[in-house]
Amino acid sequence: MIALLSLALKQLSRHRLRTALTVLGVASGMFLFTSVETLQRSLGAATEETAADTTLVVYRENRFCPATSQLPEHYVDEIRGIPGVREVIPIKIIVNNCGASLDVITFRGVPQGLLRKFAPEIEIIEGSDSEWEKRDDSALIGEQFAKRRGLKAGDKFDAVGITVHVAGIIRSPFPQDNNVAYVKLDFLQQASRTGLGIVTQFNVRVEKSSDLKPVAAAIDARFKSDQQPTDTRPEKAFFAETAGQLIELIGFTRWLGLGAVIAVIALVANAILLMVRSRVKENAVLRTLGYPGRAIMFLVLSEGGLLGLMGGLLGAGLAWGFLRWQSFTMGSEGHTLAILPEVSTALFATATALVLGIIASVHPALVAIRQPIVKSLRS
Amino acid sequence: MISCKAITKSYRKGPNVVTPLENLTLEVPRGEFLALMGPSGSGKTTLLNLISGIDTPTSGTLEIDGENIASFSRKQLTKWRAQKVGYIFQLYHLIPVLTAFENVELPLLITSLSRSERRRKAEAVLELVGLTDRSHHTPSELSGGQEQRVAIARALVANPALLVADEPTGDLDRESAGKILELLQTLSREHGKTIVMVTHDARAAAAADRTLHLEKGKLLTEDPNKSLA
Repeated sequence: MIALLSLALKQLSRHRLRTALTVLGVASGMFLFTSVETLQRSLGAATEETAADTTLVVYRENRFCPATSQLPEHYVDEIRGIPGVREVIPIKIIVNNCGASLDVITFRGVPQGLLRKFAPEIEIIEGSDSEWEKRDDSALIGEQFAKRRGLKAGDKFDAVGITVHVAGIIRSPFPQDNNVAYVKLDFLQQASRTGLGIVTQFNVRVEKSSDLKPVAAAIDARFKSDQQPTDTRPEKAFFAETAGQLIELIGFTRWLGLGAVIAVIALVANAILLMVRSRVKENAVLRTLGYPGRAIMFLVLSEGGLLGLMGGLLGAGLAWGFLRWQSFTMGSEGHTLAILPEVSTALFATATALVLGIIASVHPALVAIRQPIVKSLRS
Repeated sequence: MISCKAITKSYRKGPNVVTPLENLTLEVPRGEFLALMGPSGSGKTTLLNLISGIDTPTSGTLEIDGENIASFSRKQLTKWRAQKVGYIFQLYHLIPVLTAFENVELPLLITSLSRSERRRKAEAVLELVGLTDRSHHTPSELSGGQEQRVAIARALVANPALLVADEPTGDLDRESAGKILELLQTLSREHGKTIVMVTHDARAAAAADRTLHLEKGKLLTEDPNKSLA
């Protein structure tokens, strides 16, 4: 088996141009496939609720975009008193673009001292807490945001008419946090001219995920007759609603992924079929030497599988590297969708390419063993 | 070694039935170097294909080493070919991207031999055909005579008792052809291989122990000037 695999590898490595062109074609298809898979998985991670989710977002009822959600900051004390609430933080949000956008800049204003308490999982990977504490205009920038904008600790950053000093770069297990700039609430309220005491939303951490629904209902019930009624839902549910256009667009990319898969099958099948046709005599000679049909099949399937594997590794690897390097983010109404490539996605794409290569070689392999030896030797 | 009794081979070609071999009976003792001659279409290559097990007769019995290969299934024939017969083609049919050593090693890749055992056997037959120094050259880097010697080494490497050769000198110049025939004689006389060779060339046939003439699928005469060695 290994000897035959090595023979298949020699056939590929010594037909360099043909192999390189086929691998390049497969790699292009798998680049697209990996990118689409990454989009789909990132969307899934951003919109599908899991048992680990414990965050609710409280907006003003009937809001569109963060700018139209203006809630009194003093709601925070009343929300904190609702059973099941572990922590609550008032947040002021300013975005540069409210519609669906590929480069959304989001400022989140949070009360000084509350950020680390609300989100202890946030890690400062550059800069320091003391730098964040000591200046009014300091900002903690999400890792992906900083990468996209080329920011580092100590830089000044200006957007949406707000100028901040980058006190540090943060990393969080939650993609949303990696794509925003945290600033101090009072600073953002003043800078945005909405005035002190007004916030966009409250982020509420509940004790456990089963508390999400009852706590949301309790919050909305509490403010139903108040000056600003609220609409409380899990963070992911808001994203799923507001990013409808994005979801539709990303849903369409499934067809691109399917197209990539079909292109890879057609390409490998064509390459292997041409190879089999050009090697009719070679295969007949091998059969004359006593190679059983299953050995010839194994050789042909191996070549197809190896072409798929090489193309898959190249395409998926390039897509993974490219998406990591580019740190693409899509945003809508202040929510961001980070396009985060995962190693598992690249491995899945590579395995898919391997399987596609083998599937595409089945017909050529059958062609290779079906013709009588004598007829093949005469051809 | 080879015993063909009333062998007939026919096949359908369009509306007609073609019979390249008809009721042929032939005995070839072990270790004999037999030449088959005859005009094109006389059935000599068909007979060679039947003896080598890459084709099956329509009727008759074909015993080789006591086994009636005419009754073998396709799977049995494949296994038999791998162990018992070495085929030498007129146009060598080496795999162009493999070196001489790798081409010779091919029949051993489907055996259970270890890599070192395969290497030892392939090197031994390359030495036997005098090509040790060319073992890492690809076919395009070898002369026609050298390519045919690699093909002979490939046919020999699994140590079959029977070698069949389809015009092995047909594509070679006189000097190279002479060397190939000398090699086949050595294999027959010193290594006890039974060789059945198809040729159009009387000089090549003269190197064999016996020559048989075929015409229209039937055995005509035996060369009276030749006898078993």
